[in-house]
Amino acid sequence: MNASSDRDLIVLARRGDAGAFGELVTRYQVNVFNVCYRILHERGEAEDLAQEVFIRAYNRIHTFDIEREFGPWIRRVAANLCLNHLESQKVTTEINDEQDADPAQLPEAVQEVRERSEQIHQAMSSLPAHYRVIIELRHYQELTYDEIAVELNIPLSDVKSHLFRARKILAEKLHAPDR
Amino acid sequence: MHLTDEQLNEYLDEATNERAQIEAHLSSCDECAARLSTLQNVFAELDSLPEVALTRNLAAPFTPRPSLPAQLPKFLTLTVTLQAAVALTAIIIAAPFIAQLIPVLELSSLSSVFIQLQTQWASWLDTLSQFQMPTLPTIPFELSSIYLMSAVVGVFMLWLVGNGLLLRNQIK
Repeated sequence: MNASSDRDLIVLARRGDAGAFGELVTRYQVNVFNVCYRILHERGEAEDLAQEVFIRAYNRIHTFDIEREFGPWIRRVAANLCLNHLESQKVTTEINDEQDADPAQLPEAVQEVRERSEQIHQAMSSLPAHYRVIIELRHYQELTYDEIAVELNIPLSDVKSHLFRARKILAEKLHAPDR
Repeated sequence: MHLTDEQLNEYLDEATNERAQIEAHLSSCDECAARLSTLQNVFAELDSLPEVALTRNLAAPFTPRPSLPAQLPKFLTLTVTLQAAVALTAIIIAAPFIAQLIPVLELSSLSSVFIQLQTQWASWLDTLSQFQMPTLPTIPFELSSIYLMSAVVGVFMLWLVGNGLLLRNQIK
């Protein structure tokens, strides 16, 4: 039996079928969570925000343009919600998870990948909130400069200056001589 | 003259029309080539971030609505079965009598029965139209609006308490 398309599920969800929307959530929850995690760098907070993204999307499913693709749309919603969240909090989040396993017990290669991932996350978390979101939209959601400007409602010149500045900061943090 | 940061970024983002000029410069300038390489490393680092797994199912709040039970409750099933059995027994018992009555019935007798019924109904209506309410005994005290209001409120409270007691198990 063929799986229902996203469009079919959205039509059913609009008719009040919560289970159909649940199927959409199952399809995109890891993507949406990772958007939140890359921006927030805190697992619990990222999961809460990802849940909030889907609840808001469900409550506004009637306003969703059925001609658009659901996946890219929901990931952009997630990025925007995270930006709003960070701006309302105005705090620098610290990495405090990914410590659940003893690193000494992991194979060396896995341990190296894990440590490098933590360094990247640490570098990302040092960026201002809007820099992180622009990195997310450009590198992970592959939006063009113009699309990012429209999405964040900021001038094209700001998109470029924030993106280039963010990359410079990351380069300095990730490729410092002591590393 | 070296390439600007903007030119290098736009080159990597494939957002420039000056690709040929930039590549020509990079082939002859070690410093700009090194800056490009550093930027490329940042791109590679960002691409290398693995996807992180969720620790909970975000689809859980969107479960399908529970459908109505396909079967009737047990007590209702028993009642319906019992009623059906009684009805069937009644039909079986009545069947011989009905069989005897059917040949006796004629269309002419049916019409006379109908006329009799109609006449009877008309006489009942006539009696009803002449009916007069008997005079009710007077209440020994004056019924003020306060008494009436208190009585209505009292009955309403009793109704609320009674329903509350009856439905308390369902509310829980």
